[in-house]
Parts: sequence; C-alpha cells; structure tokens
Amino acid sequence: MKQLIQSQGFGAIVGVAVMLAVFTVIDFSGWWTVQTVSNVTQFTAILAFVAMGQALVIMTKEIDLSVGSVYGLAGVAFITMEPTLGVPGSLVLALIIAAFAGFLQAVAVVKGQLPSMIVTLGGLFAARGIIYVWTGGSVHNFSPAARSHPLTRLLGGELFGIDAAIFWLVAVGAILSLVLWATPFGNRLLATGGSRESAESRGVRTDRIKIAAFVLCSLLAGFAGILTLCNQPQTHVTLGENMELEAISAAVIGGCLLSGGRGSILGAILGALIVVSFRYELIALGAPSSWYITFVGVVLIVAVIFNQKLARFLGHSV
Amino acid sequence: MNFKKSMLLSALLAATALGGAAHAQDSEKPYRFVMVSHIGSNDPNMNWLTTSLKEFEEKYPNVKTEYISTNNYSVQEHVRLLEQAIATNPDGIAVPIVSSDAFEGPLRKAIDAGIPVVAFNIPDGRPEGERIPYLTYVGGDEYLTGKKLGEYALAKAEAGEIPKPTHVVCASHDSAHQGLKARCAGMKDAMEKAGAKLDELFIGAEPATARNTLQSFLQANPDTNYIFTVAGWSSPWAWGVANEMKLDPDVDDKGMTILTVDEGPVSIEGVKAGHVLATNSQGFWLQGYAPMEWLYWNKKFGYAPQSDILTGPIIINKDNADQWATQVRGVFGDKAYDEQNTW
Repeated sequence: MKQLIQSQGFGAIVGVAVMLAVFTVIDFSGWWTVQTVSNVTQFTAILAFVAMGQALVIMTKEIDLSVGSVYGLAGVAFITMEPTLGVPGSLVLALIIAAFAGFLQAVAVVKGQLPSMIVTLGGLFAARGIIYVWTGGSVHNFSPAARSHPLTRLLGGELFGIDAAIFWLVAVGAILSLVLWATPFGNRLLATGGSRESAESRGVRTDRIKIAAFVLCSLLAGFAGILTLCNQPQTHVTLGENMELEAISAAVIGGCLLSGGRGSILGAILGALIVVSFRYELIALGAPSSWYITFVGVVLIVAVIFNQKLARFLGHSV
Repeated sequence: MNFKKSMLLSALLAATALGGAAHAQDSEKPYRFVMVSHIGSNDPNMNWLTTSLKEFEEKYPNVKTEYISTNNYSVQEHVRLLEQAIATNPDGIAVPIVSSDAFEGPLRKAIDAGIPVVAFNIPDGRPEGERIPYLTYVGGDEYLTGKKLGEYALAKAEAGEIPKPTHVVCASHDSAHQGLKARCAGMKDAMEKAGAKLDELFIGAEPATARNTLQSFLQANPDTNYIFTVAGWSSPWAWGVANEMKLDPDVDDKGMTILTVDEGPVSIEGVKAGHVLATNSQGFWLQGYAPMEWLYWNKKFGYAPQSDILTGPIIINKDNADQWATQVRGVFGDKAYDEQNTW
C-alpha cells in the first residue's frame, strides 16, 4: 500500500477511482456500456500516446507545444506519400519526419539554450504551416487498397472486437515504463529533470537525455497520428489541432510536475483517460460540449494542487 | 417587349457598357481591393474565391485584388488581419461578418475613413438600422441554407424515401461563428415544425476529437436520426461515426440520415455515393467576383446596391450532383477534385 501511495501515478489512480465512482452514481446505465467503454478507451489510446511523450519531456523540465502539429504532420505525410511509397514506406517516412521535427527542436533548446516553450511554439506554427502548404488545404484520400493493407489493419483494425490502438498502447506503455524505471536511461531522464546540475556532476549527459526525450515525444505523437488515420482515414488539415493542450493536461493530471523529475507513464495514460471520459460524460449529461474546456481547466488546477501536496507529503521538494 | 426581356436587355447593356468602360480605362487610376476571408488554405472552398478574383483582375486590369485569410477559425485572428488590411489603406474591403461585435469597431473606422466595405459570405445578422453600414452583402443566406435543406429532407421523409426526423444534431466546428449558428437555427426551425428536436453540438475541427464528441452525443442520445454537419469536410467524419456505431448512415428509409453544406468535392461525392442526402451551393464563385465588382462600381461611378445580393442556397441532391461535379471539376481540376474526395 505504501508503495502504491509513493508511486508517481498515485494521484491519477485516485483521480480515476473518484471519477469512475461519480460517473457510476450519476450515470450508471449510460457509462457502463460496451459502446461507451469502447468509445472512451479508443480515443484515450490516441491521446495517451501523445501524453506519454509529453510526460517524458516534462520529466526533463521542458515542455513540447508542437506535439499536436507533429501528430498532424506525420498523419498527413503518411496519407499523402502512400500512393508513391506504399503503406510501409510512407509509415517509415512519416515517423522519420516526426523524429526529425523533435530532433530539430531539441537541438535548438539544448544547444541554443532557448526556452522549450518558445522553440516548440515555433514548431507548432511551422509544422501546421507545412501541412497547409503541402496539402493546399485538403488532405488527400486514402485509397481502398491502402485501407485494406495488412499493416493498416494491424495498426487501425480490431482484435477480438477491441481496437488495435489499445493493444499498441498497452505494449508501448509497458516498454516505456520499463525503460523509465528499470534502465539507466530512465534514471538519467528523471535526474536531468530533478536537478540538472546534480545529474551533470554525476556524469549524466543531460543534453543527450533531453534530445532523446524530445525525439521520443515527437515519435509517439507521429505514431498516434498514423494510428488515427489507419483507424479512420477520413481526415482534414486540422488533424491534431489543439491536441498539445489536451496532452499537456493529461500528463499534468497524471502526476507530472512542470518542475521536472517527477511523473509516470501510467499517470499520463490515466490522465488521458480522465480527459476523454470527462468529455463523454459532460455530453452524456446534456451539458453544452464547449463546457468541456472549462472542466478540463478545473480538473487540471485541482490535479496540480493535489499532486504538489502529495509530492510534498512524500518528502519531495517541489 | 415584355418587362423581363427589357430588364434583361438593360442589364446586358449596362454590363457591356461597364465592361467596356473598364477596358477603356486601363491606364486610369489603379485600385487595390482586399478580401479578408475566414476561408483559409485549410478549406478547399478558397479555390472558388481566389479563382474568381483572378478572373476579375483579367477583366479589370487596373484593379489589383488581394486575398488574405485565417486558417484557424479564430475571430480574434480574423480581426487582427482585418485591422492590418485597413492600415494599408486599400480602395475597398470585402469581409465576412463572422462576429458583428468583434468587427464593428474596425469596420466602422474603415467606412468613416472612406473605404467602401462589402460583406460577403456572412452578413451582419442584426436589423438594418443597427448593422455595420457596409455597401451591401453578397452571399448565401446562412439561415436559409439550414432551413431549405431541412425542408428538402422533410419533403423526402414525407415521400417515404428517408425516415421521418425525431432528433437532429447540428454538428458545428466553430462555436463562435454566427454563420454556422444561423445554419443550425434554420435547420432547427424547419425540423421543429415537423415535431423533431434539434441540438447544436460543438465538435471542434480536429478529426479525432470531433468523432469522439459526436460519438459520445449519439450514444447518449440514441433517438438521434439526423446529423447536419455545417461544414462539408466534416460529413465523412459523421458518416464514419454513425457507420461504426452500426446506425445505417447511408441514404435510405431507415437508420441515420446525414445532411451537409457546400459545393466542395467531399459534399458532392458524398451525395453521389449515397452517403449524404443533400448539400447546397451558396454561389461561392459569385461571392468572390460580385463584391469586387460592386467595390469597383462604387469607387468608379458611386453606385450602391439598395438591397442584399443573395447567391444561394441551391440544393444539390442525387438528381443534379453530376452536373455540379462537372462544374466543380472545372474550378478545382480533375486531379485535385479526386484527391479531395475523402470518402
């Protein structure tokens, strides 16, 4: 029990438990249906990929505002290049583009000593602009042959009636958690965010760690964009618009502290679950859908206060 | 000669004379008109407007037209662009009144400074005495767009071709856009007369979020059997969600019925494929060309129309979709048309 309380996703676990209890009381028949759970988990999986990457960057005491645009850029690259390169080729190219976007921004942050908020804000606009210029305002269609390609089905289809994205989330989430908690890289990543000077004094190459975190973040965002399109190829140039805000919210609700050095992959996934669930339940209760933004804001502030108090209670300096 | 014929002849003579005058005055004072649009490069409908401006410039070589637009459906961003355009002191401005409140200040200032303004695409929805004193409005009637599409659907339902509406959801990607709200209001008035309920739902412009929001609504409101998407490009999302939920969204006498707007490739091909019951045209090409012509005539001759100039709506259904497809292919080109068909 003590281990559970001390775990970095504890705040999110409490949040999810409270949320499920409240939703069960106020809307039992609407909430606990196969369709609702399927809808919520499917979109949670997409957002969670972006949130996991964001969590890694936040843990290094940086932030990435470009993830929504990178998500869109990778998706657009995947769908636009498919007629030339085929599904596997366009998938690889889309991931390379995403990784390159992350790398470029990371180099500007680390080597240029620039604030990540400014650099990635520039990345947000630049990537969105590239989408507009590249597509001329309209994303191309995904051919019937591409939609039925085995790789497309593997990423966007279903297995035992469950969306493939959820299996991918479980697999990637498990690997990232393992990397974070059981490898030297994870240790160095948290150390970089916790106290950069201290980490550097122990030989940690914090610049490399930060670059790796940004690249991973963009790769995960790009992969989420591809997963979305494999599942539903009907898209638009607005793909990923404002997703960075939901991803940051999910990571913070999930226990990531913007002061760095603290956070978890499980927390980011649960944070995404909370964000998506709130959207569903507010609409189900008949609230105007624009209220959702207000509720995310309120939940975000409550989560930050709770997570900070929890961290202080556990003896961490935040 | 009957009245209609004489009117037609007069109009023809006037157009010829004005056209001739324009050509004769090529070397005269140049004009610069700016269209400050909300239809950005993320919306294929921009092609209609930019193509018509190009053709206008060919007819009036002494006029330079500029098309500037926002890409992010932000009223604030649009106002900022408008203020920048006014600061360059153009000879005329064409602008959609996306928000009367937000646009009132800058536009009144421009009009007071002697810059003629023509509203296009979206009018100031307030009564005539209260609205921004622009020269005229050229465009469709957003309220009528919703109402006529609703009435068309009701006629089809009456004929037994589609289910009678019980609950309609009007899915909008911009909660602050007056034009989109007016479309929903028109549809609401048409549907409520037939005893159906209408809810407006803000789905946003991001595809995955929009699908999630719409799916949540449909799950929570299982009596919903009509979806009205107020943008053509979101109709495939609506169809995809309803199809995934096994709600039989194709046009037939059962399940879900989908209505949309615009004469873009997605909307027209949706109708042709039987996914969408109907869409509409609001005469986009005219909405680019006619405001420029009125600005020119106003600057040159002092002419001012005494009423709004309505360019739509025209219903596009399975009977005339092929004809529209041919016309739109002419504007977009075959390659772009096919690529933009995201069904």
